[in-house]
Amino acid sequence: MALPGQQAVDYPSFKLVIVGDGGTGKTTFVKRHLTGEFEKKYEPTIGVEVHPLDFFTNCGKIRFYCWDTAGQEKFGGLRDGYYIHGQCAIIMFDVTARLTYKNVPTWHRDLCRVCENIPIVLCGNKVDVKNRQVKAKQVTFHRKKNLQYYEISAKSNYNFEKPFLYLARKLAGDPNLHFVESPALAPPEVQIDLAAQQQHEAELAAAASQPLPDDDDETFD
Amino acid sequence: MASIEPQHEHREEEEAAAGADDEDTGAQVAPIVRLEEVAVITGEEDEDAILDLKAKLYRFDKDGNQWKERGAGTVKFLKHKETGKVRLVMRQSKTLKICVNHLVIPTMTVQEHAGSEKSCVWHAADFADGELKDEFFCIRFASIENCKTFMETFQEVAESQKKKDENEDASNAAGLLEKLSVEDKKSEEKSVEKTEEKTKEDDVKDEKPSDNAEKRDETASD
Repeated sequence: MALPGQQAVDYPSFKLVIVGDGGTGKTTFVKRHLTGEFEKKYEPTIGVEVHPLDFFTNCGKIRFYCWDTAGQEKFGGLRDGYYIHGQCAIIMFDVTARLTYKNVPTWHRDLCRVCENIPIVLCGNKVDVKNRQVKAKQVTFHRKKNLQYYEISAKSNYNFEKPFLYLARKLAGDPNLHFVESPALAPPEVQIDLAAQQQHEAELAAAASQPLPDDDDETFD
Repeated sequence: MASIEPQHEHREEEEAAAGADDEDTGAQVAPIVRLEEVAVITGEEDEDAILDLKAKLYRFDKDGNQWKERGAGTVKFLKHKETGKVRLVMRQSKTLKICVNHLVIPTMTVQEHAGSEKSCVWHAADFADGELKDEFFCIRFASIENCKTFMETFQEVAESQKKKDENEDASNAAGLLEKLSVEDKKSEEKSVEKTEEKTKEDDVKDEKPSDNAEKRDETASD
């Protein structure tokens, strides 16, 4: 499942295709998992971006190659080419934009034309926003098409691990699979000379005066 | 995020109507891999937690001149049972991935964030990704008290490592002096040993790196 220019790994890896309308938060969701950051700025994805994402489970380490695809039609590129050999998928919509839910069947149809019988998770993103346009009880598509549904928030991290956990369980056929601590390797010793230390302290003072991105936020999980 | 709380409650009602949160509505699909359960290695087996607090961590993005979230979860100071070395480790909640992993060394200082009494900042060579990276970190706690406790612990640990370093330097020097006298006799044997070691190392290198790491961890935890 390795890609050109990417080293193959010696643990199980899966191609995960992420689709959905532009601006629903596919890239933000992937980025959140990759680096922890929450990107507010919207920059449409062109074509596709592939990111390896590792998880540690009680059944060992696994990797999802996340194919983060362009949601905007004009940036779409070769859709079927992105879907081919997909082993699992996430269809994302935005609960604050009704049209993105209305388009879910189209994404599902396109996906299923190429990928038959793969586990699919439908994600309603941005549930942290107060004025939802799509309420949880209005979401019924997953029942008709036998998909799993999760309400998520890439902003607050609400349920943010659930889509990956569900897909991992289905791919391994193990409903008890769960995430475990990744090994905290012993960090090597580092020697810091005085000049470097002074430089760090000066830069640190400057950084300390920059505001935090979400100072109003009071939750920690 | 106080504003979100009512929203969550509201959602729970809706979920009850729409079905339980973890209800599996997915189609039956055939698994494509078979995975065996493996022993969990946290890497923290030989350490004691000095402090254990919930927090949110940020790293400074120099290019954008801004703080960016790194993760939210549990931060710990871990003291090694034998070496006495202390490191700071934080794990993302739910996924349990590492957001920060660095030794606390005497040259480190932690200071309050200018805009928030619940936050503080420091510099470290971080090993969270398995390679050393210079980072500026900021950590935010739920309360001013927790932030104070964290800063005090951080500073105390850094101080304690200073004393340890001096002691180690002294004992190392003593050890070297002793060695000097026997060095000459052993030099011949040693060169033989070294070549042997080298071949061993080469063998190890041929193995897959992750296997190797796992083995090392296993022996470490024994």
